[in-house]
Amino acid sequence: MKVIRSLLDKLYEVPGLQRYKPIIGAADAILYGTNETTHAAPHVVDNIDIKRYMSFVILALLPAVAASVYFFGFRVIAIIMVSYMAGGAVEVIFAMVGKHDIHEGFLITGLIFPLVLPPTCPLWVVAIGVVFGTMFGKEMFGGTGRNIFNPALVGRLFITIAFPAIMSANWQQPFDYSLETDATTVATPLGKYKSTAMAGEVNPTVVEFKEDEANKQVLFTSAAAVEKCTLNPESKFDGVKIYCVGNGAYKKAAKHKRIEESNLTRLFSYGDLLVGKEPGSMGETCRIVIILGGIFLMFAKVSNWRIPVSYLGTVFVLALVGHRFLPQDIAPPVFQIFAGGLMFGAMFMATDPITSPFTKAGKYCFGVSCGVLTVLIRSFTGYVEGVMFSIVIMNAFTPLIDQIVLMFKYRPAKT
Amino acid sequence: MIAKNRAFPGGYRFKHFQGRPQDKLIKAAIPAMVTIPLMQGFGDEVAAVVGADDKVAAGQTIGRDDESISSPVHSSVNGKVVNIGKIDYLGNETTAITIESDGTEGWQSLEGCSAAWDNLSIEQIEKLVYLSGASGAGRDGIPTGFNSSIISPDEVENVIIHGVESEMFAVSSGLLLKDDNLSHFAEGTKILRKMLPHAAFSIALNSECKSLITDVSGALADNDWCDVRGLEPRYPADYDEVLVSAVLGREFPVGHLAANIGVIVLDIQAVLAVYDAVVAGKAVIERTIALAGPGFKENLHISARVGSPVQHIIDGMVKQDADLRFLRNSCLTGEALSDLSMPADRTCGAIIAVVEGNNREMFAFVRPGPRKDSYSRTFLSLLFGSEKITKLCETNLRGEERPCISCNYCVEVCPVSLMPHLLFRHVEREIIDEKLLKYGIYDCIECNLCTYVCPSKITLGQWIKDGKAKLIDEGLPCPQPKFALKGLEEDEDAK
Repeated sequence: MKVIRSLLDKLYEVPGLQRYKPIIGAADAILYGTNETTHAAPHVVDNIDIKRYMSFVILALLPAVAASVYFFGFRVIAIIMVSYMAGGAVEVIFAMVGKHDIHEGFLITGLIFPLVLPPTCPLWVVAIGVVFGTMFGKEMFGGTGRNIFNPALVGRLFITIAFPAIMSANWQQPFDYSLETDATTVATPLGKYKSTAMAGEVNPTVVEFKEDEANKQVLFTSAAAVEKCTLNPESKFDGVKIYCVGNGAYKKAAKHKRIEESNLTRLFSYGDLLVGKEPGSMGETCRIVIILGGIFLMFAKVSNWRIPVSYLGTVFVLALVGHRFLPQDIAPPVFQIFAGGLMFGAMFMATDPITSPFTKAGKYCFGVSCGVLTVLIRSFTGYVEGVMFSIVIMNAFTPLIDQIVLMFKYRPAKT
Repeated sequence: MIAKNRAFPGGYRFKHFQGRPQDKLIKAAIPAMVTIPLMQGFGDEVAAVVGADDKVAAGQTIGRDDESISSPVHSSVNGKVVNIGKIDYLGNETTAITIESDGTEGWQSLEGCSAAWDNLSIEQIEKLVYLSGASGAGRDGIPTGFNSSIISPDEVENVIIHGVESEMFAVSSGLLLKDDNLSHFAEGTKILRKMLPHAAFSIALNSECKSLITDVSGALADNDWCDVRGLEPRYPADYDEVLVSAVLGREFPVGHLAANIGVIVLDIQAVLAVYDAVVAGKAVIERTIALAGPGFKENLHISARVGSPVQHIIDGMVKQDADLRFLRNSCLTGEALSDLSMPADRTCGAIIAVVEGNNREMFAFVRPGPRKDSYSRTFLSLLFGSEKITKLCETNLRGEERPCISCNYCVEVCPVSLMPHLLFRHVEREIIDEKLLKYGIYDCIECNLCTYVCPSKITLGQWIKDGKAKLIDEGLPCPQPKFALKGLEEDEDAK
């Protein structure tokens, strides 16, 4: 250990390396911590620092990374490494030019960014995305602490727009480790729901088969809906393709005598969604570890519960009400909560303290607005996923929300 | 009568720190030399009433000024004045009297003291309290007819006596109230009540010391003017600003003193000093000082003569091989004692020795940290904190300064509901205007808790202090409270 110590000390002295001081300093700080002491009251300070704060986010993400590797193969590791290297290079260059320390915020961006990409994403696209995100999402605003947008989301948004073909259709089936992307890609649960719901009826109370409707199909989102329909003596299921959301509806339908099994398809089960056996972005599929990681962060006081709770709660309530009246457009609530990037976004991206409001009321406002936008984008636009857009849009409103809350909080007392 | 607790927002519990002083009291030897500053605590500097080469006795008044707001100071040893001159004391240039001691223990008692204090007139008691120097306690003093506080005795509505021990290290209330001292404390409180007949008394103690609360309320049982309550020892519960709102539910006059609304805040030692003065005629020549922090061989309390050099008090108690920093009274707000020949005056309650943490630690930020304290729950100390596994106490910064990430820790701990990071951002960008007033910058009580918890290692407390100073330069002083204040005229007369 002393060898490394003396090597670092010598590196500081080498005249040619003065320019690389941020790199040496960062290595030094990570390896050995600081020897700085307080110089005025308070003479004793808390042990937490930004490095530990940030490393706890990484710690909370590690189970999601492990699940990702389990479901999508070791290519995930390669993508994460590319992300760290390309983004790290940007961070180092800006630190050298700006002559400041390397800030730790990048450790999170470099990990979150790959986790919101499809597993089939080419490595060069990963590099472009992370470079763009770090540069235009963070460094252009003055670095960590001053950025308005979540840099990982800026990167993701950029490649979604720049490479739509790569980003919208290529979803790898879990456990399918082959890299022949054309053969293996499938739609995500949200995509499946949207296309199925658009193609036929959703939760009809009566199913009628007419000769002229050759490809008639219906979608049931709950066991109750199946029961209601099957109890109706006028329902005729011959030749009708039936899709079910979740095991409950599927089993109910399978039990029914008038429904033939060959016509019955289960879109997905909630259990698979929770565990991660459904296609999606690398880190977002295994919801159970994301929930655990998110709760861990809240317990450690690294993230605040207000945004995730208000975000998820809003999506749930809106979907509950919306699905009753517009089942064709708005997916059922539990499905919405567990599908797509919502859980990951709510737990790890909307909670970023820098780009979300710092006032309590602002946090609720941010979470509720994100929830409303997510449901709207998912239901009524061409995009199947709305989490990324809603968080980025609300990032832009963060300073305004805080200003309004402060205005109310500190308004002059009425005289 | 045991009263109910009221809570204040924020705050932080400093639990299980290494070096908490035990309930053990030893007596320091009589020092060879004492230095008595003529300004101790809140009052004005008093005039010396002795000259060089005068012989003085312990307890003899050596400095007194009845005109300005002050209390007399005394020689704490028997001996001879060797020098009267200016010293640099806690950042102020103060006149101090240096006395060479002859080594004897005795002290001269004040005239007119009586164990049957009930027979004394109020004027006689006031005189004893004033002449003993006990009236110079706290930030407000004890009002007497001798200008010892900014308000007069009639104006006092409430007296708060506190021993909540919310600091990381504080003198143990249990030790101060041990044995006979409990009844002395009760008597002292009754004496104060006789002096301040219109005042209601509240005694706030550490809510975790249940037996102490029972004992104290038992000793003062049949007095309806006095209530005893437990307060959670959450820093900064011992601050005047916090006590006034937590105990009395009254609004503190920001930028002023508790005395301005007729509240006097005293600690336990002040009440004991009143008892000593009136019953035994003993002036404030001794203080019980906690020797806290990991730098001492044994953490205990020491009773030392006022004006003893710090070096003399800690002599032989300090670990030799460690690089130490000595602090006065508090780890969070106290001054570092760079010159150990400086005296410990009658406002000194603790000498804290913390280890200079200037050594590097391998992979410090990923260590589990069973002994590292943190407001966040990111260290194992959360699970392990106990009297056996104490938390480390050293001066290492534990990280590099970084930009603010709005983690909101400072907002959560602020005892007066400010947003320290918001104030910091404004002061840092030189935005010194009404906005800072609007965000309540003058409400800050400078407890430094925000700086303590900041993961970005920003010295928020210092920034806010600087912000206040800059605001005053800009001509935007602290606005006057809307309610009437007491004692302001006297204040201006004194100037």
